[in-house]
Amino acid sequence: MTLASLAYAPVPGRFDELLDTDGEPRAAWRAVARALGSFDASVLVDRQGQADRLLAAEGTGHLVHELALATDRHGHTAAARAVSHPWRLDPIPFVLDNNEFTLLADAAVQRMQVLEAVLVDCYGPRRLVADGVLPGALLHSLAAHRSAAGERGHRPWLVHYSVDVARDSLGHWHVVQDQTDAPAGLGYSLLNRSVLARVLPDGLRIAGAAAVHDHADTLRRALIAAAPSGRTSPRSVVLTAGPADPTYIEHSYLATRLGLHLVEGADLVMRAGRLWLRVLDGLEPIDVVYRRLDDAHLDPLEPGHLGGGGGVPGIVWGARDGSVTLANSYGSGFAEHPLLRPYLPAAAMHLCGTTLTLPALADGTELATSPVFDGSGTPSLVGRPAVVRMQVARTGDEYAVMRGGAARVLAPGDHPSHPTAQIVKDVWVVGGGVASRPVSLAAGLPQVDFGGSVPKRVADSLYWLGRAAERAEVAAQAARVVATQLQQDPMVLSLADGAWAIGVHALLRAAQGASFAPPPAGVPAAEWVSAELGSTGAAVAVQLATLVQEATSVREYLSATTGRVLQRLAVAHTHLVESTISADELDRVLVDLAALSGLSMESTVRGPAWRFLDLGRRIERTLAVLGSVEAALGLAVPPLALQPLADAVLSANESLVAYRRRYRSDVELDAVLELLLHDDSNPRSLAYQLDRLREHAAGLAWAEGSALVQSASLLSLATVDGTVVNGRRVQLDSLILSVRAPMLQLANELVQRWFADPVNPTLMRGL
Amino acid sequence: MSHRTEYRYAQPMADGFTATHLTPRDTPWQHVVSVALHVDPRPDELDESFDQFGNPVTRFAVHRPHAALLVESTIVVDVQPAPVVSSTSSWSDIAAEASSARGDLAVELGPYLAHTAQTPQLDSLADLTDAEFTPGRSIVEAVSGLCARIYYGFRFEPGITDVTTPLASVLSERHGVCQDFAHVSVAALRRVGIPARYVSGYIETHPPEGEPKLVGVDASHAWCSAWAGELGWLDFDPTNNQMPPLRHVTVGWGRDYDDVAPVRGVVIGPGGDQSLTVSVDVAALD
Repeated sequence: MTLASLAYAPVPGRFDELLDTDGEPRAAWRAVARALGSFDASVLVDRQGQADRLLAAEGTGHLVHELALATDRHGHTAAARAVSHPWRLDPIPFVLDNNEFTLLADAAVQRMQVLEAVLVDCYGPRRLVADGVLPGALLHSLAAHRSAAGERGHRPWLVHYSVDVARDSLGHWHVVQDQTDAPAGLGYSLLNRSVLARVLPDGLRIAGAAAVHDHADTLRRALIAAAPSGRTSPRSVVLTAGPADPTYIEHSYLATRLGLHLVEGADLVMRAGRLWLRVLDGLEPIDVVYRRLDDAHLDPLEPGHLGGGGGVPGIVWGARDGSVTLANSYGSGFAEHPLLRPYLPAAAMHLCGTTLTLPALADGTELATSPVFDGSGTPSLVGRPAVVRMQVARTGDEYAVMRGGAARVLAPGDHPSHPTAQIVKDVWVVGGGVASRPVSLAAGLPQVDFGGSVPKRVADSLYWLGRAAERAEVAAQAARVVATQLQQDPMVLSLADGAWAIGVHALLRAAQGASFAPPPAGVPAAEWVSAELGSTGAAVAVQLATLVQEATSVREYLSATTGRVLQRLAVAHTHLVESTISADELDRVLVDLAALSGLSMESTVRGPAWRFLDLGRRIERTLAVLGSVEAALGLAVPPLALQPLADAVLSANESLVAYRRRYRSDVELDAVLELLLHDDSNPRSLAYQLDRLREHAAGLAWAEGSALVQSASLLSLATVDGTVVNGRRVQLDSLILSVRAPMLQLANELVQRWFADPVNPTLMRGL
Repeated sequence: MSHRTEYRYAQPMADGFTATHLTPRDTPWQHVVSVALHVDPRPDELDESFDQFGNPVTRFAVHRPHAALLVESTIVVDVQPAPVVSSTSSWSDIAAEASSARGDLAVELGPYLAHTAQTPQLDSLADLTDAEFTPGRSIVEAVSGLCARIYYGFRFEPGITDVTTPLASVLSERHGVCQDFAHVSVAALRRVGIPARYVSGYIETHPPEGEPKLVGVDASHAWCSAWAGELGWLDFDPTNNQMPPLRHVTVGWGRDYDDVAPVRGVVIGPGGDQSLTVSVDVAALD
């Protein structure tokens, strides 16, 4: 069945984007229509599934909202986290003829200029009020008209603007809404295009759509050009509300595309009239903030601030003084207010002497349709209205409109300003030839290379990400080893009067990071071993949740492939929570964790960011080796039980194969301890971890850290003989105790030295 | 006058940012002689300017660990009693003049005609306005009637409401403090189209011999100012049923409390409890 046979039948008399009144494809659509007609509908079903997977991989940020966590490390409760769902990308684009796009682009630029003039006037001379165009009572009743956004210098209010337009059923375009506060959608559009370009069949790919990727560069230049005057190498950041924000995935994607740090309010601080970014080594000055945090959440010091202590105290005042540029300026959200819209035509005439090209969309207007692919059940094309979002960036007096965008499909009954269908179409502008607009170099001040700097919060998250990844692996590995031994020989439970069972019980508890507790008396070993297996599986799930959560807040520091692995781990987390633990599931988790660890070694630049990720891994691994050896081998057991226990602890530390190859013998305690503790060529040994930790401490020039690692290294060299007191190998116990102490201290000091910055703003009230 | 605000934190705070409306402005009946602001610990940054309503604003920041913050203003002002006025202009003519104003007057009156989050347009305000703002009644009579209606119809009860209590609940419960009554009167006046200012200030603590002690002397006070066309702005204090207010000192005005909150601050630190003590003392110098 080809798409041509899908019998797309728009409503007669209602404008359709694809077909004209004779039922023929419109000129701009011809290449797309031809391609659609040539291949099987099942191809599009496949491609849509592929697009879903690619978006989901980018959208790890969406999954984190659904993780079943009560509170995260920062104290956010689950209820405070917005629930959002990934959108679906329609494989059929929204095609616009270049001439028509040019008219829309001119209208968008005109509107941005008028809104700029309205902002200048309403925060300045208020001619609109003085001359009776806009009621003063209305202006001052809008909370979005910020009383603190007063006199300003010459910089523009709007650097970035977006506008939603829709076509009515007669074919005429209207404005649905403006976005002047923190315009959204640019990142989504870039992401949609990159996904669609990868999944579309060749026939569609060559339909000649104008490129959109250069708009990110345009925006970056616009941000640099908006920097306070006199800053030769301005530094910009993208400011987000954090992973709880429903559009966080876009902020993260955009920050990566712009090559800027993605920061949260607590990463920034106003000092001495300048804005600073908290980095590992102190503070770095910031010149431009591309804010995706809206006016109402920007500065807790300003009246009308929503959301407790979030935002950056004093930043509005700093911007007012001109020491930092906010793009868009504080107070610009007022221009998008729906109550202002009816006054805009008169305001345009009064302030600019122009007539707005596009009228505002009247409520209840019937809209044009465009074909949307429905792959569920029998594939079909359905005619649905869609709202097109256009993006404009301003650099000085130049306005650049992105040659594309996103068209959000409306579900039946939707108001055009709130599409709920969660289906987006990529907007293609065709017929304009290759974009020929020359790149303006005049505004191209060099942007400072942030390569070496890492926000404190990022290092903090990476460290905990490293620890969670390692702890998840340790727990999964231990659970799998014990489950396998049990599966192969259920009689092992009663081996040597239950000595094996007691040993693996301790091993599983150690792998969860739980304290030692003897197995309950009077209960069959089968029960408590199986209970401990269950809680080890739950511990894996908890660590995976932490891992994904921390990774989400530092997404732009991780590679795209890492995103895909994280996506798989997030799904695995859901499985672990929902069903009982299976060896297969654990195997899959272990493979993904190994992939993650490999990516962190091979695909991450060895900067300070990576160092903290690896520090987390090494510290956790050190504690895990100590814990597993203490749990499984500390107890003096008969030789019969020693064999499977030593196997278990070797397997849990991924060293069993190495042991067999090296010693080709049954397990001997001395050899096992040598391999796990002292052999610095075994990447799972204590000695190996201590070597890495020593390198990291030296790399950070961190004297206290170096001293602690040194002390642990000396203590780890102690020889261990088989002396047994009260049933325990006391020399082994004492080695482990003495090494663990400086390691725990290292973990503590690390947090104190590098991350401990009080960053919870609290609002105070006075009477 | 002295106004002392002290915050104490359970644990030391690393950074503190504060914006204050503590410095009075000049008015036709009031001249500011001297202002001294004392902050402990000493601020690392301090900045003085004016807000969009023309009120002085002082902003300061402390960037070192501090377990307490003391803000104390000591101010000397020269105050003349505002004259008692009478007028035959009807309130509806004033409202019409305000709504049809153009030019500078429109720009000046705009903010004071607006319903804000703290002074919303509510139907329940009709209980206060319908009986007072009758056709043809003079602006002075109508405003003073509104002032008396609030004074007799609402109970002054400290500690029940705070600056976040919505106006609707003040209107339904019929109790509150001076800030609430100021908001009620401001919202009521704007409802009938009369521009109204929320005024923040103080009252002399100890009354002269033989006069009663007024309500609202122990903290900052708030009242209302109505625009009356040619007569200008008429202050009245619904908490004390005074028009014009006596022994009052104006600090500043805006659309509502948020515009002129005496102290707003944000501290960055480990969280935990904070306590606040405020004391105000206003004494006549001669």
